[in-house]
Amino acid sequence: MDQYLSFLGEVDPVRGVVKTESGEVSIRGRVLVFKGGRGSTVGSYVIYAMRQQGSSPLCMVVKEAEPILIAGCVIAEIPLLVVEDYEGFRDALKTKRRVRYMRGSGVIYAW
Amino acid sequence: MYLTKEQEAMLRGEYGWSTAKAMEIIVRVGESMGADRLVEIVHAHVSGVSFSNIGVYGSRFIRDFYEKGGRARVYTTVNPGCVDYGGLQSIIDNSLLEQQSIIDDALVRMGFKPVFTCIPYWYRPPAPGEHLAWGESSAVIFANTFYGGFTNREGGPIALAAAITGYTYHAGLHVLGNRRARVAVTLAPDAYAYPAGTLGLWIGENLRETPFIPSAARLGMGELKVLLASMAASGSHAMAVIPGLTPRGTYIEELEERVTVEGRDLERYVGEEPPPGGRVLGYMGCPHLSLGELVETARLLKRHRYPRRGRLLLTIPAEYVSRYSWLINELKARGVDIAAGTCPVVSRLRERYDVVITNSGKAAFYLRKIHGLRVRVAGVREVVESVYG
Repeated sequence: MDQYLSFLGEVDPVRGVVKTESGEVSIRGRVLVFKGGRGSTVGSYVIYAMRQQGSSPLCMVVKEAEPILIAGCVIAEIPLLVVEDYEGFRDALKTKRRVRYMRGSGVIYAW
Repeated sequence: MYLTKEQEAMLRGEYGWSTAKAMEIIVRVGESMGADRLVEIVHAHVSGVSFSNIGVYGSRFIRDFYEKGGRARVYTTVNPGCVDYGGLQSIIDNSLLEQQSIIDDALVRMGFKPVFTCIPYWYRPPAPGEHLAWGESSAVIFANTFYGGFTNREGGPIALAAAITGYTYHAGLHVLGNRRARVAVTLAPDAYAYPAGTLGLWIGENLRETPFIPSAARLGMGELKVLLASMAASGSHAMAVIPGLTPRGTYIEELEERVTVEGRDLERYVGEEPPPGGRVLGYMGCPHLSLGELVETARLLKRHRYPRRGRLLLTIPAEYVSRYSWLINELKARGVDIAAGTCPVVSRLRERYDVVITNSGKAAFYLRKIHGLRVRVAGVREVVESVYG
């Protein structure tokens, strides 16, 4: 998802989908790769809500992290990773089907 | 990041789950903001407490913190909820009372002072140089600019975490070196005629750096609140420098740029003329009215008996209702609707109006966005006259 995301308004926490202009994308139980958070501080609560209902991503990978997103991931206990070379990572993902992240390892595998 | 022994123990869980979780939020956010250590705060102000905005999830999160042992370690106040605590009005929808009371109950039991207002400085004005962790953006910018307190725009969960731990991260506006005014804003002669709220909206949308605004020194407290709140709503400002008002030693003046605002820049923020014969909602109290503003409004209403074109809604801190009941009754007698401890930005409206006329650029910004209403920004006198005149 090559964009910034406001969890309030652009994400449906009940179904675990992101609403984009070209349609809905399910993020439930997946690795969510996006540029970073934007918008309302209520966003932290939306991330928490998704985790509570089991509709959250397993892990988030971003270009840059801001306080609302970080606070949301901390309270929801979802790993949040910042990649140094976001563009390179995004391009590499285009030919991969699976991503694995070992909690606490700081290394992401894709194949 | 450097942590003291006590802070490390909090993080390890020796003070219970809530404190550990709260500490984790602050440390993680602090690390990403480049903080070198934490800083002790004297006052936390928790925003994000309105059920209408945070929903079931936010409510569950706050309850979780309370049930797992979270308690205030410092003086803590809370922002407005989505219901009227005074029971004096008919415009704001009180149907969410049950859901809101679940949140309020947890906040009170954690030891937070249930002021339900966005002007926490009415209860405890910060002293220059004091470190605070405030969530409400209009209060944050007022604390930094007018009182010389040191606070970032923390947002709901971080202010809550700071209340429970007594600390926040030492970065951003907690560091004097980051409190630099770089852009001087001057007004062209024709811009003085426009309400303060429109200037605030313009600054919020057009400037990124901390502005230096000499012309704001002439404003009264009410207009100053509106100017700053509007900047913080349409932009991400957390501070301005007003020479003569902002306490010395709490900012650094380093002007690199000068912009002049003209009347035509502000024109587009004024909004629409009320349609002839349409129902008008006059609204003041975003941020909540100070006592002085309430008295001033009562004075303007002395010449009028009843509203002719709609209603006038005022929003105030919950405590005014009991403390200044005589003044409230006087206003009620003239048909004013008064909501305490809430505001239309964090609640739902029960009646439809053709246009809202308000002195607040912030209220205009959110009422347009959230409620899709047609809004006009005007001076205090025009707001009163448009309903009563």
